[in-house]
Amino acid sequence: MTPNRDARILMTFPVTATSHLLSEARARGQYVALEKALKTMTPSEIGKEVTASGLQGRGGAAFSAGRKWSVIQLDDGQPHYLCANADEGEPGTFKDRWILENSPHQLIESMLIAAYALQVRHAFVYMRGEFSGPYRRLQAALDEAYAAGWVGENILGTGFSCDIVIYRGAGSYVCGEASALITSIEGKRGYPRNRPPRLTVRGLYQKPTVINNVETLSNIAWIVNHGSAAFKAIGSPKAPGTRLISISGHVAKPGVYEVEIGYPWKRLIYDDAGGMLGGAALKCVIPGGISTKVLTGAEVETLNLDPAEVEPAGSSMGSGGMIAIAEGTCMVRLMQVMLRFYHHESCGQCTPCREGMGWLHRIIDRIVAGQGRMEDLDQMIHISKLQDGNTICGMGDAAGYAVIGILAKYRHEFEHWITTGSSLCEGRLECRASS
Amino acid sequence: MLRKDLAVNVFESLRPEFDRLKKRYPAGFESSLVLPCLRRIQEDRGFIAEEDIDGLTAYLGVPRIQIEEVLSFYTQYRRSPVGRWHLEVCRNVSCSMRGSERLLGHLCGKLGVQPGETTADGRFTLKTCECLGSCGTAPVMVVNDEYHENMSAEKVDELLGRLR
Amino acid sequence: MPRIFIDGQPFDARLDQTVMQVADANGIAIPRLCWHPQLSIAGNCRLCVVQVEGRSWVEISCNMPVSEDLRVQTDTELVRAHRKAILQFLTLNHPVDCGICDKAGECMLQDYHVAHNGDASVSHEPKVEATKFFSLSSRITLDNERCVLCTRCVRFTHEVSKSHALGVQDRGDHSVIRPAKGPGASPLEHDAYSDNIIDLCPVGALLSKDFLYRDRVWYLKATPSVCPGCERGCSIDVWHRKPEWALRSLDAKHNTSIVRVTPRDNPAVNGPWVCNKARDLARILERPRAHAPMAKGREVTLEAALAAARALIDKARRPVALISSWGSNEELHAFKTALGERFTCFVKADHVPIEGEVVSDELLIRADKNPNGHTARSLFGSAPMAFTPDTDLVLVWGEGADFAALPRGVPIVFLNAYLAPENGHADVFFPTSVMTERRGHYSNFAGVVSAFERCFSRPGGVVDAQAVFEALGVRIPNEAVTP
Repeated sequence: MTPNRDARILMTFPVTATSHLLSEARARGQYVALEKALKTMTPSEIGKEVTASGLQGRGGAAFSAGRKWSVIQLDDGQPHYLCANADEGEPGTFKDRWILENSPHQLIESMLIAAYALQVRHAFVYMRGEFSGPYRRLQAALDEAYAAGWVGENILGTGFSCDIVIYRGAGSYVCGEASALITSIEGKRGYPRNRPPRLTVRGLYQKPTVINNVETLSNIAWIVNHGSAAFKAIGSPKAPGTRLISISGHVAKPGVYEVEIGYPWKRLIYDDAGGMLGGAALKCVIPGGISTKVLTGAEVETLNLDPAEVEPAGSSMGSGGMIAIAEGTCMVRLMQVMLRFYHHESCGQCTPCREGMGWLHRIIDRIVAGQGRMEDLDQMIHISKLQDGNTICGMGDAAGYAVIGILAKYRHEFEHWITTGSSLCEGRLECRASS
Repeated sequence: MLRKDLAVNVFESLRPEFDRLKKRYPAGFESSLVLPCLRRIQEDRGFIAEEDIDGLTAYLGVPRIQIEEVLSFYTQYRRSPVGRWHLEVCRNVSCSMRGSERLLGHLCGKLGVQPGETTADGRFTLKTCECLGSCGTAPVMVVNDEYHENMSAEKVDELLGRLR
Repeated sequence: MPRIFIDGQPFDARLDQTVMQVADANGIAIPRLCWHPQLSIAGNCRLCVVQVEGRSWVEISCNMPVSEDLRVQTDTELVRAHRKAILQFLTLNHPVDCGICDKAGECMLQDYHVAHNGDASVSHEPKVEATKFFSLSSRITLDNERCVLCTRCVRFTHEVSKSHALGVQDRGDHSVIRPAKGPGASPLEHDAYSDNIIDLCPVGALLSKDFLYRDRVWYLKATPSVCPGCERGCSIDVWHRKPEWALRSLDAKHNTSIVRVTPRDNPAVNGPWVCNKARDLARILERPRAHAPMAKGREVTLEAALAAARALIDKARRPVALISSWGSNEELHAFKTALGERFTCFVKADHVPIEGEVVSDELLIRADKNPNGHTARSLFGSAPMAFTPDTDLVLVWGEGADFAALPRGVPIVFLNAYLAPENGHADVFFPTSVMTERRGHYSNFAGVVSAFERCFSRPGGVVDAQAVFEALGVRIPNEAVTP
């Protein structure tokens, strides 16, 4: 933890009309780490540094990046693949977009270092199909990097070659799941895969593959430049570094903010994000994408943004997609929006999610239509618990967390709607206080 | 967005581009080309036609069913033409919290269509969509694949006026 | 050889096995819908869950590798609760069609529901509706409401028959199995193994149009048999009405019909598959039959026909016999014993590939469309049919002989099961039984011997070819063959 808890790794410069260009990125020091890695470090040395840094995944699962990388057997004679996960589909999350549009060279450089460390010849950025703007920015940056010789054959004359291809998705939330992402790159439906085998053993076209979130990867260049010890000095012992938090909802200044892990939650909402619209009271917060359990305003104001505090409080920092909800917002309607989303996005492969998502959605629609029964609430919890851990991918768990989390704290709103046929909050989703 | 005349063999006109695209992928990745090729075909034609699937099946050597499955799985692919301006309004959590339901209602009233429909003059197709990854600038709309952020009823009116 | 424990019992396993495979090999029942020994692992039904000792959660067993000292439980409270839950999910939208569904009585979902759930639905929601009669091909109809999306059918067309005919359209609970489109008929129409997906389907979603609404499986008997469609000799079950459930019908045919044909798993020959020709065996075996012995087209008694034939054989000095490659081992040996010395014998291909039929492929289908050329040729050689100017009698056994090519003016003794103009032209004609009317054995192209059992009694007037040969030839005491 730095004294002022304001360390920056990614958002280190003001965004202008030209700050994403290679010339300015170079002026900020981009590609120095790549040169250092290629010319003075071995792949396994880089892997050790990443592990020592304690870098955790920033896509939602928080798995140790170094441990994921370590499964790759160097010199096994097989092609290895690296995929940057730029699918960013978790509602409330828009922080990878910041990197793609404003600091694409940080991602590119980091990917090249990772590719070198993992003996990857072909790397991909899997970007959600809707991101037209970020696609143009990243492709332009790649064109610049190719022209300058940072990507492609025999980089810096070191003998290391690597090509990066942007693979655009076509509209599917589940393709943000690592195994579905790979199956999508194979040109098929985005169906997640059962494990074993792990993707680092058999992934893209059955070859060892590492998938890392865009933000996770973008830290690599900094770690190589400054060293794992310096990285560990930022943030908290078990969760070093910073997080990009995308905050939206009923705040005055929604946007992407980089916070050191351990940063006071209250400060993010009331200082950085300008507080609630119209001075409204904070009802609750969805901490890290709608698949994380909701926490009340009172709980949130006492916590720091550190997994070591958020998890004991019963939630998770997840994808960093934070949604702040003002007093007077109807949690029943909010859950209806979420369940409609999960139902729409379920790939349909496995029984609990395929049938369960539709079931949950139909129940909440029936409650909103004024035909709910008291048993419905326990049944929704029952369905959610049955999905948890019993599906091929985490989506089964995710919808469950949303349902169980909201019902744990706001059950009375649902009971009210069931008994009276109407919302406690006039069915409101917009902020009552804002004009 | 270009809209090539239906009579033109869109697939054949794109073949040279697909040949170049193939070279950027490692050997054995032909199957991967399904998604990017479909996207390019739709950019030119506005949707994917049966003959496009025939052409792509032959070109890539993948089973036809794979392309058919892909087309029905991903929401961005269209099997039939849409209006000149394809409008999608996000109705997920943050956008709903910042007024997307009212925005959608405003659009339905202004255009005289319901989500899923096209205006009689063929100018506008209106749809809803899920989270676009731009929650900070909610409510967000997509017009012909471009994001329009921080929307309001006034901005929508101004936008509709510009779209001929 | 890792040793694992299932429900406390130790079992030796191979490293390439999953927990489910070890359980199956040792008679421990783990329910499953999507797993099949001949298909890739899908792991989507989630029914096969087990609990590793010490863990507080369940995991699917079809994708769980074995390891030394792995200990799993297949019947804990948690496992039972999860199985019940999965069945609740599966029956959430599954239509209650049992009363009108062909699969009733052999439906895995029915069986599992009774064994592992048994309760009424806990849902208050209307069921999701989908297409109920989707024509997948001229042979198969699909009911999307009953489908549980196990994808066995899809995987079969990609991994076994390689027709790539099926896939999943749309997503979530709107997912439906659909055939590939494209110019012309669906590839499933041209898939010679398409009907195997009907057996694979664990529920009544994929149904045979031929069998649709014909009968209830519990009234039917499955008699083991061998497909005579080619020299592969796939093991099959011939299904027909159980004698104790005979229909009291004006038309006796109802009780002597082949209702359907399904594969019988035989790892040595065909595994669990057959081609569609086996399914259509009734088209071959139930053609109009000959019912009476004849002499030059005139009906005669069997004794008179035998006497006439015996006389012709005794008189002949250069008799030629055209041997049926549909004869059973028993029939062929009987001919060899009784008449083999007297006749110059040539093995005949009773059937040749017909227009539109697959001649041969890499899976099961062989070009020789006769079930017992192997035994026939081992007994009578492979010389091509040839008559000499002094041929003075031709005995034709079975179909496929070109009567126009027989020497003119030479007497013909003809044995045939089916109604044909040639029956009336022969000097002596015997109406013979078909394979479903007797017991016997065929040897396939690789010499594997398979038995077929009797399904029906011989129709009145019809004789076994073996009995005719024994009557016509020198009798040698041999084992009585039970008809």
